Amino acid sequence: MSLIIAQEGDVYPIRKITGNDETKRFLNSLGFVVGEQVTIISKNGENMIVNVKDSRVALGQSMASRIMV
Amino acid sequence: MSIKIGLAGNPNSGKTTLFNGLTGATQYVGNWPGVTVEKKSGKYRKNKEVEIVDLPGVYSLSPYTLEEVVTRRFILEDRPDAIINIIDATNIERNLYLTTQVLELGVPTVVALNMMDLIRKNGDTLDCKKLSKLLGCPVIEISALKGQGIDEVTQKAIELAKQRKSQEFTLPVMEEIKVSLSEIEKMIESSKVNINTPKRWLAIKLFERDEEVVKSLKLNHSVREKINQCIEQCEKVLDDDSESIITGERYAYIGNVVGQSVHKAKKGSDTTSDKIDKIVTNRILALPIFMVIMWLVYYISVSSLGTIVTDWTNDVLFGEMIQGNIQSFMETANVAPWLTALVVDGLIGGVGAVLGFVPQIMLLFLLLAILEDCGYMARVAFIMDRIFRRFGLSGKSFIPMLISSGCGVPGIMASRTLENDKDRKMTIMLTTFIPCGAKLPIIALFAGALFGGASWVAPTIYFMGIAMVIICGIILKHTSTFAGEVAPFVMELPSYHVPSAKGVLIHMWDRGKAFIIKAGTIIFVACGIIWFLQSFNWSLEMVDADQSILASIGGVIAPIFTPLGFGDWGAAIATVTGLIAKENVVATYGVIYGITDATEESADLLAMIAANFSTVSAYSFMAFNMLCAPCFAAIGAIRREMGSAK
Repeated sequence: MSLIIAQEGDVYPIRKITGNDETKRFLNSLGFVVGEQVTIISKNGENMIVNVKDSRVALGQSMASRIMV
Repeated sequence: MSIKIGLAGNPNSGKTTLFNGLTGATQYVGNWPGVTVEKKSGKYRKNKEVEIVDLPGVYSLSPYTLEEVVTRRFILEDRPDAIINIIDATNIERNLYLTTQVLELGVPTVVALNMMDLIRKNGDTLDCKKLSKLLGCPVIEISALKGQGIDEVTQKAIELAKQRKSQEFTLPVMEEIKVSLSEIEKMIESSKVNINTPKRWLAIKLFERDEEVVKSLKLNHSVREKINQCIEQCEKVLDDDSESIITGERYAYIGNVVGQSVHKAKKGSDTTSDKIDKIVTNRILALPIFMVIMWLVYYISVSSLGTIVTDWTNDVLFGEMIQGNIQSFMETANVAPWLTALVVDGLIGGVGAVLGFVPQIMLLFLLLAILEDCGYMARVAFIMDRIFRRFGLSGKSFIPMLISSGCGVPGIMASRTLENDKDRKMTIMLTTFIPCGAKLPIIALFAGALFGGASWVAPTIYFMGIAMVIICGIILKHTSTFAGEVAPFVMELPSYHVPSAKGVLIHMWDRGKAFIIKAGTIIFVACGIIWFLQSFNWSLEMVDADQSILASIGGVIAPIFTPLGFGDWGAAIATVTGLIAKENVVATYGVIYGITDATEESADLLAMIAANFSTVSAYSFMAFNMLCAPCFAAIGAIRREMGSAK
């Protein structure tokens, strides 16, 4: 499923990042790679703050929807 | 022999703090990613032969934003003699991703491990020696904030630069990839390209199909075909695209390195930052908390504490001490009365009226700097994204707007952190509605004069600025140029920390100094001119202000403003002079009403204004000055940034 429908407070391993463009490359460099664990710290509407590789990243809805967990 | 050292690292890892420590400069440091948008250079304080270049923070060397391009080009084309790669130890895995790419470029590199104190506080351990051995480059522990270890790192970098040995680093990869990479390397060799970057790096970039590298190598068609076949074959075997394969290999290598050198005390429990984030970015509470904080900031700086300090500066410091003494000095020295009037009423009155607001402004910047340095402002960008998105802006637009609350010019410059060209232009156009530091005196003056310093006035004017941004955003979104999707929002959020006094003060001064400099230059001159115009009539005789040149000019313009409710000539002139610099509005009043009278407490500037305005017309005047065209300096900056964007 996509990260947007994931629950606050839960931990998920990343299964896939869809698309193949600069955005994906950027997500990769931030630590979003297949197999990595993401924790959802807080959700604010469609936006969310997640923890990945010990850093906190704020994601907009369109970014979060590309991360499959 | 001069040596050039580049500082590279992730955004918000402490590069600028390190740079300031090494060069003695006072570059502005913020607790959010992307503060450094241009590379800056300075001389090493202990050895002037060494040039230190602060590069914009990047997460990788495959360029995504403008600042990543700047950093990559610098390392590739300018070839620094050494690189100091600063790493946030609390976030080592993500930081090492960039390190593996930097090491591949062959430039001698020293890794500076920053924020080790936090690692120890968490009870974790990190073996520097082991890390150094695994990476094949020196690793030195530093504290950029406290200035510990920074000279050791630089000495090491200088030493490496002098040895002129290129950095050895080979990313270990799976056998299949290794075969492909060495084949590509052979092809690069046989086509005899003359580039002084290591072949291995070029091979990896070609494998990743990096457009810029492909273009710069100018390989002939058949070689490119062969390389492509090679990549496709590897992709087929590993069932993934070539870029993801390399990314995966990098993280696998990093995972291995970190596993051997870092020991985590325990995992799972929330950090303090996470706990704070759960509250302040909460879906329901986020906005109310933000409003309350902003209201407090303005209440303290403009209405309560600020007014006390400003009153003292205006009435006592400028009113009695400076103005009074100079006047009596000039009178005893038998200076011509018109010259005394020029100096006392014109220059001191006008400039003093502006400088009187320095305490209030500094207080505002101090509070904003604290909010920023502790990490809250980055969260605000996140909170605002949801709202900003509705009218076509990204939450990141909030940062330029916040900086604009100091001065529109750096605010406009800060819009460069936005990746998307369209979003950037829109942000530039809208930032100017935010009440800048220079507009603050206008608010303060009128709020004090007519509303008895009522605490609702300043915040409402501020929120009105935001409302204008929203309305104009919606309008702009419906024009053809700005229609369409906003760039997706991704932003790293820094950890909360207690701001350092030094950092906050540098920050406050950085934004506030423009105000003081302007008071001494543009406003000084403008005051002289306004005084002249209001003291003489067209036949150059000294007259009362009501019959002066200024009054007649003002009388002509005034009807334009009558519909707005402030049709007297003084207000008209003040608005026009405000175009040069917003501080002029207050300065003009200072000159016209002459604060010399301020020595008698009852007839000070505030009272004069109170006599000339009703509450409604004053609010209208404030609102108009908030929202009309920005000052010339900002207009210039807008033109520069919009022009270069094309």
